[in-house]
Amino acid sequence: MMGRTIALAAGAAFALAACTHTKQMADTGFVPPEGSYRLVVMRPDVAVGSITTGGGFEQREDWTNAARANLVRAIEAQQQGRGGSVRIVSTRAEAGMDPVRVAELERLHAAVGQSIALHKYAGPKLPTKKDRFDWTLGEEAIAYGQASGYDYALFVRAQDSFSSTGRVAVQAVAFLGCMVGVCMMPGGGRQEAFASLVDLKTGRVVWFNTLASGSGDIREQDGADKMVANLLGKMKPGASRPKGTIKTAAR
Amino acid sequence: MARQQWSRRAVLGGACACAFHARAGAADARIHPAAMTALAPVGFRPTERDERGMWQSCERLEEEIAGSNLLLPSPAFQRYAKQVVDRLVGDRAGETRVYVVHDPDFNASMFPTGMMLVNTGLLARMRDEAQFASILGHECGHYLRRHSLSRWRDTKAKTGVMAFVQAGASVGAGITAGAGGAGANWMDLANAINASLVLSILSYSREHEREADAYGVKLIEEAGYPPEAAAMVWEQLIAERKASAAGRRKKYRDRSLSALSTHPASALRLADLSVSGRELRDIVVTGRRYDAQKARWDAAVAPLRADLLAEQVRLNDPGASLYLVHAMAADGWTGLLRYNEGEVYRLRDEAGDAQRAATSYAAAIGHADAPAEAWRAHGYALLKQGRGEEGKAALGRYLAERPGANDAGMIRFSINQ
Repeated sequence: MMGRTIALAAGAAFALAACTHTKQMADTGFVPPEGSYRLVVMRPDVAVGSITTGGGFEQREDWTNAARANLVRAIEAQQQGRGGSVRIVSTRAEAGMDPVRVAELERLHAAVGQSIALHKYAGPKLPTKKDRFDWTLGEEAIAYGQASGYDYALFVRAQDSFSSTGRVAVQAVAFLGCMVGVCMMPGGGRQEAFASLVDLKTGRVVWFNTLASGSGDIREQDGADKMVANLLGKMKPGASRPKGTIKTAAR
Repeated sequence: MARQQWSRRAVLGGACACAFHARAGAADARIHPAAMTALAPVGFRPTERDERGMWQSCERLEEEIAGSNLLLPSPAFQRYAKQVVDRLVGDRAGETRVYVVHDPDFNASMFPTGMMLVNTGLLARMRDEAQFASILGHECGHYLRRHSLSRWRDTKAKTGVMAFVQAGASVGAGITAGAGGAGANWMDLANAINASLVLSILSYSREHEREADAYGVKLIEEAGYPPEAAAMVWEQLIAERKASAAGRRKKYRDRSLSALSTHPASALRLADLSVSGRELRDIVVTGRRYDAQKARWDAAVAPLRADLLAEQVRLNDPGASLYLVHAMAADGWTGLLRYNEGEVYRLRDEAGDAQRAATSYAAAIGHADAPAEAWRAHGYALLKQGRGEEGKAALGRYLAERPGANDAGMIRFSINQ
């Protein structure tokens, strides 16, 4: 009996440590952009730090800066193979519209993104959005597309954390607990990221992806490449549109 | 699996900001203002790893706040608030930024980078520049003593011990249970130890608040404000809270009087600040003149007064709102104050309140500065009393002053009834 508990616990711990989960969702009729589209990647929101002994997140400036630069390079390299023209902005002033309005659009997206994460991924499903992916940033996004000339905007947010030495020691002690049948494994470092693609002609969020991983390291170029490949690499089209419906995404 | 991670927001809210917050504990000794000296040298930039990370996340937050639509849209008052801080910190003026944000709660907060947030709810309650400066001085005290950093390090050390206690107890519980004993005792022990560590983290926070209070008094005295101003703020706040409780037919209870509070008890802060204020006045060189700068404060706040009052009245806290309106009326009643007094009664809507509101509106329009809204309110009050012609005339006066008002159509409908 106790042996099985240990095996389960240890298995769960290792499974979490090694797996990378992604889960994509797309608007009905969404087709990944190809051809001569113009894509703007909004300034990636990145935070990298260590997990303190007690489980707190402590941001590291040097790690965060390195990871952001790595992710930008990885996105550039990845998008080059797709044929579209891509611009990754590092400040709001570069985004092609009044920075105050860009900031408002980013905040609007953060709110919509949180709702998507809550209602489509984590928690209660909304009755009206149960069986479809139906989210929009509305007029603001269309206005941004008209002002800047971009067809799509991609929003990326990534967090990575690493267990401090103290945290690893706590986990080692907790693992002893698992060996004797009382298993309360404290969490360690992990990656969390999400990306969302907004069609600037319609204002709709046409594609969304989340990533959670117990491994990987975006402080290194290789790790950032992997995250970008997992997050953005295999963009799947949405469910095909039933015949006779009105196309909202005119392209 | 028990995940023990904190979100980024918790880090920002907890480690980043030292809020002034009107909550607070234990009977610890008063800190002498003279003992307060800056721990960070002038022009200080962080060099240590944890502090650099903290600054980076705070700078990111500041970028959002600087462009936020929550900012009070009054460049003149934003400048004024910064000038008050500059008077307090002198040669460190270049290290601080002040953002006045729309929030009716009585609060201000300071970030380790020198970013200060000031709520509009604070502006509604201060009666002169000295009182305003005493709160900003308290916040500057947090910055000069680098409280955010020491609090984060203290929390980090204590939660680290807590994690080991928890993990160690699970090992003990497993072994005891394996030997047929009561493993739960280990968990009870761990919880007891960890609870005391949580209390110790909170007590450390209250220690910081007392330091900031002492530093604040010192800063305002040096800037030429009467040092008693800080204690006055607390006297007023306690009186307002009592009025608020009475308005809800509740007994006043100090929410800060608890070992679980991050801030010391209001009455203790008042007592300490009173002693510190008197002490400073006694020891300074004789002949030093203090000025609470009431005229300057009144001039700076005058353009905001209507919005501040509206924000407060909408909280639907009639006891506190009436207390504040009547406190402001100590300088003389105005049309704006009478109108808001009426609004409090109208929204409270208890027996007799309709009549009280009508009396207030009638008094409001007797003042030359009566806002247009007072004419509207007065008009409807008269209509309800069956004084149709007078009521329609008052509504007409509102329309004349606000021809483009959102409710102009409805008002015309009422007039044509």
